[in-house]
Amino acid sequence: MKSRRVGITTTVPVEVIYAAGCIPVDLNNIFITGPNPGELVEEAELAGYPRNVCAWIKGIYSTVLRQGDIRTLVAVTQGDCSNTHALMETLELAGVEVIPFAYPFDRDRDLLTLQIEKLMDRFGVDWAAVNRARERLDRIRRKVWEIDRLTWQENLVGGWDNHLYQVNCSDFKGDPDAFEREVDEFLHRLKEAGPRREEIRLAYIGVPPIMDDLYDYLEERGARVVYNETQRQFTLPFATEDLVERYRLYSYPYGIFYRLEDITREVKKRNVQGVIHYAQSFCFRQIEDLIVRQKLNLPILTLEGDKPNRLDARTRMRLDSFIEMLR
Amino acid sequence: MYCGVDLGSRNVKIALMDSREELKFFKFDTITFYREHGRLEDGQLAVDLSALLPPSTRPRVVVSTGYGRQTVALKGARTIPEIKAHVLGAIHFTGLSDFTLLDLGGQDSKVALVRGGRLVDFQTNDKCAASTGRYLENMAAVLNITLDELSRYYENPVDLSSTCAIFGETELIGKVVEGHPISSLAAGVNYTIFKRIRPMLQRLYSEILVFTGGVARNTALRKILARELGVQVMVPENPQYTGAVGCCVEARLRSPD
Repeated sequence: MKSRRVGITTTVPVEVIYAAGCIPVDLNNIFITGPNPGELVEEAELAGYPRNVCAWIKGIYSTVLRQGDIRTLVAVTQGDCSNTHALMETLELAGVEVIPFAYPFDRDRDLLTLQIEKLMDRFGVDWAAVNRARERLDRIRRKVWEIDRLTWQENLVGGWDNHLYQVNCSDFKGDPDAFEREVDEFLHRLKEAGPRREEIRLAYIGVPPIMDDLYDYLEERGARVVYNETQRQFTLPFATEDLVERYRLYSYPYGIFYRLEDITREVKKRNVQGVIHYAQSFCFRQIEDLIVRQKLNLPILTLEGDKPNRLDARTRMRLDSFIEMLR
Repeated sequence: MYCGVDLGSRNVKIALMDSREELKFFKFDTITFYREHGRLEDGQLAVDLSALLPPSTRPRVVVSTGYGRQTVALKGARTIPEIKAHVLGAIHFTGLSDFTLLDLGGQDSKVALVRGGRLVDFQTNDKCAASTGRYLENMAAVLNITLDELSRYYENPVDLSSTCAIFGETELIGKVVEGHPISSLAAGVNYTIFKRIRPMLQRLYSEILVFTGGVARNTALRKILARELGVQVMVPENPQYTGAVGCCVEARLRSPD
């Protein structure tokens, strides 16, 4: 028996979960916005998670154990990272029902269709219901796309708000109606906002940051993120109504070269001067930094984050130097 | 008179520059500097510089940099990022405009690429002190020799893993037990530093390497860098004051006249 609240480890076709009348819960968001995310990481380490493993995985583990009502988990087994496998196993050990979902490495349409249909079977829903859910969610996505446009084209939105509204499109905060109202209110408030004056335009690529003061820190120094790569991908910013095609165009799970096509296009369109490449400590994506540096023809600052925290002195010094260099 | 203050992790370095570009240098232990000469005023570090510097000193503009500036803002001083300060200082010391800067300080290492007198790219060490002055101090203590002695040797190095300043000690003790001569052990220590910073130097390569920071006084490391990378290594006369001098240069640039 599936629980009503269904945990997800990263973006999955949430249309399926909503179509089944369940509530998707992006565990990353619950973990990082909780009152003490650092404590959750420590809890996982006490349970036996190694110190030198991604803090997101540890945070998710403890989050599920603490949120007693999440007894079902959709976990991305391909297209995210192999740490997820051990996360699934340790949660299974704790009695959580785990449903695997795999994005095919080569973006094969047939394989992806099969994965989505298997997920639909597990949730007992058909295409008609899934498409109704998609139409509902697309209305919100279109509004969030507008927030993104207002960020880079009209210069009305700061990097943090751009991050926040987009990142929340992974699960629509479990309540699409309430989230849509938040989005509407934000868009309404922007009508009175004047254009922002930061002189340096930055791109932020990689997974969302584990520290929460990055955007403010940059803006205090006259630099604003006008492109959040992965967060924007969470909004599935593609015109097609074909659900399978949407999750095939979605870049995050499909390797760095495909992601770079999106990044290259967007940094040009958004007139970006420098790129911050964030990689989590101990993450395989740290290796991909060398590819990013070869393929992107812009100044790049590679940032590493480990525990949930504020920016440390060293990272602040590096950000200062990067901004100074771009001036 | 311009005053540059580099709030380092081990020492606070102060440079004074007069209108003829004559330089004077002063150095204080960081902890003593904060504890005995600083007090917190409105969230900023107030330091009575006149009590620390010669009586006639009247700095018109004070510019500061360094790790300390991230935790305390020096009252009355303009602050600039550390890498910028080091690049300005290196340009002032050498008169060059195209080079790679390697700065090895007490607890961090930086590599910067300078083209046409501008910083165009940089890298810093990851969160680890394995390639810094602190590491050399620890290793010299293990070998029971001075830093000067340690910095003499670069031939026949023992092979040490380059991963950690703390586990490095254990590893070095193991090599002592194996009976290697001090010269090889010391050369091994110096080589570890090189191995650690090599990837950064290769990514930001220039034919001229300007080497600054306290560790630049290590002559063995200079030789290793020149030999392994095939570059010309230049070390300013007072390498540990490069950041402070860069602050003086910035102070003079921004000064009204």
